[in-house]
Amino acid sequence: MPKLTIDGREIEVEAGTTIIQAAELLGIEIPRFCYHERLAIAGNCRMCLVEVEKMPKPVASCAMPINEGMVVKTNTPTVKNARQGVMEFLLLNHPLDCPICDQGGECDLQDQAMAYGKDHSRCDEQKRAVDKKNFGPLIETAMTRCIQCTRCVRFANEIAGAPELGALGRGEHMEITTYLNQALDSELSGNLIDLCPVGALTNKPASFTYRSWELKSTESVDAMDALGSAIRIDTRGNQVIRILPRVNDDVNEEWLSDRSRFACDGLSLQRLDKPYVRRDGKLAATTWSDALSVLAAKVKSSMTGRMAFIAGDHSDAETLVAAKDLAAAMGTTHLDCRQDGAALEAGLRASYLFNSTIAGIEHADALLIVGSNPRIEAAVFNARVRKRWLTGKLKVAVIGPKVDLTYKYEWLGDNPSILADIAAGTHPFAATLKAAANPALILGQGAVARTDGSAVLGLARKVADTTGMVKDGWNGFNVLHTAASRVGALDLGFVPGTGGKNVAEIVAAAGKGELDVLFLLGADEIDISGLGSTFVVYIGSHGDFGAHRADVVLPGAAYTEKNATFVNTEGRVQRTRLATFPPGEAKEDWKVVAAVAEALGKALPYTTLSQVRERLSAVNPVFAQIDMVAPASWGTFGQDGSVLPQPLTSTIKTFYAVDPISRSSKTMAQCQAAFGEDQCQRKTGTHG
Amino acid sequence: MPDSQTPNSQQSALREPTAEQRRHWRLVVEGVIAKHGARPEQLLQILIEIQEELSWLPLKVVTDVAERLSISRARVEGVVGFYSFLHTRPNGRFRVLFSNNIIDRMLGSQTMMDEMCRKLWLQPGKMSEDGLVSIGPTSCTGMGDQGPALLVNGMTITKLTHQRVNLISELIRKDTPLAQWPQDLFAVDDNIQRKDILLNSALKPGDALRAALANGPDALMEEMKKSKLRGRGGAGFTTAQKWDFCRQAPVDEALGRVVVCNADEGEPGTFKDRVLLTRYADLVFEGMTLAAYAIGAKKGFLYLRGEYRYLLAPLQEVLSARRAQGLLGASILSQTGFDFDIEIHMGAGAYVCGEETALLESLEGKRGTPRIRPPFPVTHGYLGRPTSVNNVETLASACLIATQGGDAFAKIGTAQSSGTKLLSISGDCAQPGIYEFPFGATIAEVLEACGATDVQAVQMGGASGVTLAPSEFSRKMAFEDVPTAGAFMIFDSGRDMFEVASNFVHFFAHESCGFCTPCRVGTSLLTGYLDKLSNGYGSKPDLAEIDTLNRVLKSTSHCGLGQAAANPILDGLKKFRPAYEKRMLHQDFEPAFNLDAALERARQITGRDDAGAHILEEQA
Repeated sequence: MPKLTIDGREIEVEAGTTIIQAAELLGIEIPRFCYHERLAIAGNCRMCLVEVEKMPKPVASCAMPINEGMVVKTNTPTVKNARQGVMEFLLLNHPLDCPICDQGGECDLQDQAMAYGKDHSRCDEQKRAVDKKNFGPLIETAMTRCIQCTRCVRFANEIAGAPELGALGRGEHMEITTYLNQALDSELSGNLIDLCPVGALTNKPASFTYRSWELKSTESVDAMDALGSAIRIDTRGNQVIRILPRVNDDVNEEWLSDRSRFACDGLSLQRLDKPYVRRDGKLAATTWSDALSVLAAKVKSSMTGRMAFIAGDHSDAETLVAAKDLAAAMGTTHLDCRQDGAALEAGLRASYLFNSTIAGIEHADALLIVGSNPRIEAAVFNARVRKRWLTGKLKVAVIGPKVDLTYKYEWLGDNPSILADIAAGTHPFAATLKAAANPALILGQGAVARTDGSAVLGLARKVADTTGMVKDGWNGFNVLHTAASRVGALDLGFVPGTGGKNVAEIVAAAGKGELDVLFLLGADEIDISGLGSTFVVYIGSHGDFGAHRADVVLPGAAYTEKNATFVNTEGRVQRTRLATFPPGEAKEDWKVVAAVAEALGKALPYTTLSQVRERLSAVNPVFAQIDMVAPASWGTFGQDGSVLPQPLTSTIKTFYAVDPISRSSKTMAQCQAAFGEDQCQRKTGTHG
Repeated sequence: MPDSQTPNSQQSALREPTAEQRRHWRLVVEGVIAKHGARPEQLLQILIEIQEELSWLPLKVVTDVAERLSISRARVEGVVGFYSFLHTRPNGRFRVLFSNNIIDRMLGSQTMMDEMCRKLWLQPGKMSEDGLVSIGPTSCTGMGDQGPALLVNGMTITKLTHQRVNLISELIRKDTPLAQWPQDLFAVDDNIQRKDILLNSALKPGDALRAALANGPDALMEEMKKSKLRGRGGAGFTTAQKWDFCRQAPVDEALGRVVVCNADEGEPGTFKDRVLLTRYADLVFEGMTLAAYAIGAKKGFLYLRGEYRYLLAPLQEVLSARRAQGLLGASILSQTGFDFDIEIHMGAGAYVCGEETALLESLEGKRGTPRIRPPFPVTHGYLGRPTSVNNVETLASACLIATQGGDAFAKIGTAQSSGTKLLSISGDCAQPGIYEFPFGATIAEVLEACGATDVQAVQMGGASGVTLAPSEFSRKMAFEDVPTAGAFMIFDSGRDMFEVASNFVHFFAHESCGFCTPCRVGTSLLTGYLDKLSNGYGSKPDLAEIDTLNRVLKSTSHCGLGQAAANPILDGLKKFRPAYEKRMLHQDFEPAFNLDAALERARQITGRDDAGAHILEEQA
């Protein structure tokens, strides 16, 4: 490993490291605008200039690979002069409208101006003004502020695979714009806002509503998909103003999907902030004690076999374990967490986990995607697949919807029977998988949420077995979940017990009048219209489908309003943090369940959060291992049997409206209007 | 002509195309893409050829091309926007571009342009109402020895006179197709005035190759090393070393290495490559083939600047002839395994593409933005393959070395600058044209040869070169003294050196690619200062500001363009300061405007013109 000296300090670094990276290792900060460690090197802002011995002029440290014996100086007068010169040039055309700029207070240009700016302007030239551009409903533009660092262009091209962003013109007339000024069609577009070092691209829904220094930040975990991206929730008072990604290299690197970022206005709309009871056919606000007594009057112990629980996609583990304990206490086995009817089984963890791990997909060299559109089911993960694909080391094939995934793939068709051919080794892609060092498969919910789901699951397992996907140190069998609650629920065994009914059977039973009471734990994605005259108790945060049908509504907390546990698609146990309090009289969901249990005379044996969490670990020890993914042991699962010829599709039709929060969000509604209802129909792109 | 109607006519051209138009466009797109293959690296060539057919690039066509090449529309639009010869708005069936270099201006190009505008009833830069014609300026077209020159639909017309302007205006007004114009209009002279080893070369096609093949590539490399030949593009890198790096770079044998001949002769005042490509094309192509033989390349490109579009057909003929003679293609001169062919790529009006990494980007069909280095082209060039980019003259000289040996070549010139150099002499002299001098010739010798008297200054190496004052005329043309890429512009004592510098600075601002901060902002800032001086509002502090600006540009720019952009003023301020100072209204402070002039209206209103109604300079 070559050695170099920076500011008199020696360091040994890997060959190929650039000066700016080596300096970072030494804790020496070099200012930069265009350089970003996750994007290709541009070297155009010229802010990171340093002096290197034997080189006639300052060099851009972001673009200069280190050499053995290099002597670098980052703090000489030459360097300072050069940076001051560049800074002055950048500020020359910058409008300096910091007082009304949303980036103010968290602006790289502002910060660097502190270090390298001058206290007066030497120029009275006209500033360059650039037309505002339309980047769609999520990104506000003020392109006069743009310093042409091209981070946004590189992100769109490299990470998002939405290359509709580019530089036009040349010289002083160079501008960044989308093609024909159209909205940027990407599920990851919000990341441009974080990447933009100035206020050229800012958060449109939140524009002019806050100053960054007024906000309180809470580090938490996202629940808008099943990835569990690391997020930072910025609040003012009791309102979530914005959500930003945090770095978690294992999950989301430093990206966040637009739904996770921008649906946050849905957190304060359509909220259930009081208990409601249906009287004379109408829901009427009431008190907790009244709602619970109505509930207690209706629910009798004798209803044992006529009572059911369905968990929604946002249910946290604490709520689920409490509900499961309540169900056991009431003597019912009708409980299910698979609103979509996915034929996944609890028990064998490897059968429902994303076993390779999210980051592990970067080691895969052949990938078969079955019944999934990862671009809208897990946008941030999809960028990871693209990242691997861009290295040229990943071959991708799809059985399922033929859509633009931002990378090229071989479309094998959408008939699940192709899986059987691959398992039997008669399909050509079987050879590709077998030849791969780390073959992988992604099984989407669309593959298992069908009447023949169990057979498809069985076939997928056979494919994994016959193509060498499961071996020492590698398990390429991956289930891609879409619901944040699902893996935790399966870990807790929130599935029908002996003689218990699953979601479809529960709904059918309700429709036939065979069910007296149904508890919906934020479950809004089932067929509400078919519940007949069953007494429905809805515990959740939003006035969505479930609450509209309910006879008693008990207001719960959204994921930003509670300290709760979620397990992501790879089996990583993570905890959200309370950033704002639940609105009005709403309470954390597990406490609501506990209150219901008490009202029914079946008080649960825990009253504090830590006690619930002890209970979680007792039910399944994985809950004791926070932020970790332990390899799950392999086995046999799924059923033998023939599959139906119905095409495999994705369970998610619209990226912007998948749950009560995103359905309540005005921003998401605007996106839907701008980008069209059904993204599954988006044609296959061939964008490199 | 009423100006207000022009936008309307532009809009009419931008109206939804008729179904028939659309069909025609699609047909053209399909035809051109069928010729090139749906390969993104051909994008620039495809766009150029489509535009030649349609005379502009409608956005619908941009979309079609993007779809057919499977690349994003933003990339296609970005490329169109980068090259000044490509446009997404109609510019008329006749697009007339007057060379705007200082030499052409000295020869009256501005007057000619105004005259033609008057005759055709239009304003510069705007298309005529009927969509017939538009007229504008363009960067140097490489015809300094026979200016003023213009391009009409990409074809060159030189030696403009009032008669010629009249004739051209008439032809345009009658909408005469270019093919029916009198062919003598398009004649371009060679003006070879002084020959030495290169221009005297009597080598026949294949001579140099046969000599090289007889002794093998290692022997050729040995001779190249002995010759001490240095790159003629200006930087003067040792050619043998470049080839050596390239031949030793690891390569995917299936793809092979690449030889690129840089014929993007965009430096204002340079036209020697044009003459080599006109009269000595075989020598150039043979030089490329020698390079290929030495480094093991399979693919060659000649990157020809858009301004030399008229040379394309003759050059293609030379290539065909060479293929027929077994000097290109598979098994050259029956040597199994020696496969090499040359493709000509056109530029489209971007000076920065003369920078070798920008040229490679352009060859790959992208915006011509200089790459970051390392890695260098010799290891990662065209499509990541090891690539040797050499100047036209360098490659031609290689033929001499292959036949006569490196030692013979090294004997000519100076110890550090071997061989001869072609100079493109233009400006105030009796005999402008091409002069071949051995390195080491003094400026005075050159001036004498071309019949220049009363010389105030010589601009060596073009806009990015150095301005020499008479006191320096004893200096030598050599890499160790005054290096040059070949431009040699002469200014007599009647010329305003400020105008010269200002012309160059505007040129750099126009040609800056916009990639890096210092060049993007700095070049345009410089033009601002020069315009301020030019308008008489300058003052001493401005000169100090210009000096600081120059230092930032020089030390922080990404590529040579930004680093050189300040040269003309730096030299000018050092050597011709009076030309700058005489434009200053005030020597000691920086007025935003002329106070006395601003009182004019008040004086008119009050009818006063006494001393009290004036603010004198001392008072101000």
